[in-house]
Amino acid sequence: MTVKHDITAHIIAEYLPGTPVEELDSSYDLLENGVISSLELLRLIAWLSDRYDIPFADLEISPDDFRSVGAIEKVVTRFEGLPAAE
Amino acid sequence: MSRSLAGDVITLARQRPEAPALLCSGAQDQAVSYAELVEECERVGAELDARYPDAGRPLALQAAKSAVALATVLACMRAGRPLLLASTELGRDLLADLVARSGCQAVLGVADDALTHRPVAQPDESLPPVPEGTSLLLTTSGSTGTPKLVPLSGDAVDAFTAWAGTAFSLGAGTRVLNFAPLNFDLCLLDIWATLRHGGCVVPVEQDRSVDPKYLIDLLETARPEIVQAVPMFFRLLTEAGVPQDFPSVRDVLLTGDHVHRSVRSGLSRLFPRARFHNVYGCTETNDSMLHTFTAEEAAALDVLPLGGPLPGVQVEVLVDGEVLSGAGTGELLVRTPFQTTGYLGDAAKDRFPVRDGRAWYRTGDVVTRSADGGLALVGRTDSQVKVRGVRINLEEVERVLNSHENVAEAAVVAVPDPAAGRLLHAFVRRHDETVTGLQLRSYCAAKVNRAAIPAAFHLVTDALPIGPTGKVSRRLLLERLA
Repeated sequence: MTVKHDITAHIIAEYLPGTPVEELDSSYDLLENGVISSLELLRLIAWLSDRYDIPFADLEISPDDFRSVGAIEKVVTRFEGLPAAE
Repeated sequence: MSRSLAGDVITLARQRPEAPALLCSGAQDQAVSYAELVEECERVGAELDARYPDAGRPLALQAAKSAVALATVLACMRAGRPLLLASTELGRDLLADLVARSGCQAVLGVADDALTHRPVAQPDESLPPVPEGTSLLLTTSGSTGTPKLVPLSGDAVDAFTAWAGTAFSLGAGTRVLNFAPLNFDLCLLDIWATLRHGGCVVPVEQDRSVDPKYLIDLLETARPEIVQAVPMFFRLLTEAGVPQDFPSVRDVLLTGDHVHRSVRSGLSRLFPRARFHNVYGCTETNDSMLHTFTAEEAAALDVLPLGGPLPGVQVEVLVDGEVLSGAGTGELLVRTPFQTTGYLGDAAKDRFPVRDGRAWYRTGDVVTRSADGGLALVGRTDSQVKVRGVRINLEEVERVLNSHENVAEAAVVAVPDPAAGRLLHAFVRRHDETVTGLQLRSYCAAKVNRAAIPAAFHLVTDALPIGPTGKVSRRLLLERLA
């Protein structure tokens, strides 16, 4: 499973249950369209940290990095496997 | 005690005894003439006098529409007997509660074209009498608790039926469709104003009121000139996709709720010769505002204006208990010549604030007044919820969804959520599948506060469930989520 598929599947399961996978375009704005609220963004980031072993808490990130499946894929591939800061 | 309505009907029966008062369709189509109706009224009146010598204590009538039921209402009006009109859908306990609270001495019904009597065993003698001059006791729908009793004076009934007669040119032979059950306030117009002015009532049988084929047959054969109904009726007709139109209809009254634009845009084809009216009213005040509109306007506007107050009606907008002078949003406050002065037993007294020595009614409807003074309905004060601290009116979100061209109908409910306070769930029925849930979400997102975007969109294929007043039932939708 690619990172993109993995993220799409998670977002649909958690935030858009019942939505056919092919409908969620990788550019669909998850924040603007209210799929992920600010509270839920923290939950999503925690899941991503855990799943891809990314220490987001120590990184410079902004909500824009999580705006769409495409954006999330980008930020994940950028930081995946980065060792935690000492 | 005013007895004009019954008196007028009796006079009409003398002048034009053979004229039809009631057109009952069915297996054996039959008309009930004014003479027959009044004859029945006199028979029932004598029966009531013999059984219930105390004319001051109310009776209850729980019956579907029929000549006997109508004659019973007339007989009570004529004798100045207060009459509680109870829904046939009321559960036994709820009916017993209403009967007890109003001090009714008996519950009347109709079986085999005859009146039935169920005397109340031990009426509570300590109850205060109903207000002097009470003619009818109506009930609220009880969607937010036990139904409240709404005493309506004979004067109010007379004033209302007089207005309706003038406003819709009711006269000898005018055929008026009556969609609502007998206990609904809407009957004041389509049954009682019609009879008072010599017209002919075309009743819709309650049991078949959701059968489009029956409704179409009835419209075709009875050819009413005036049709008043709740949105569900017009939705059934437009969605039935029938080729017929109904040119007999000259006035169409939409009442009770917002009528979806897609339904409204189909009205001009169904009723090619009609004027259209958006009627605003509640059981407590009866019709209060009226907006007459054209077929073009019906199809163009997402929300119809409430229109202007009827003669003698005053309206104000209340914000935090203060009357709003300019533009803004608040609760609609109404005073009408047709209203009750308060619920029986002083229930919810705060809904009837006294201003300048007269009772007004706080409608519980949120309206917006624009700079030009026009009023538009936003929703119910009790459909306001808070999502992540933001105040949201569910009906406003529904309206946005309903404004999408591919949405046949939409409803939004709020469910408790530990994090957000409330979460919104939208139920949407689409015309076809060319629009996805995500596209509807984007459409909504462009038009409302982010907190008002429903957390979940449930795309459904069946019509949304309807409650007892013919409106979409949020309660039944919430049960689906439980």
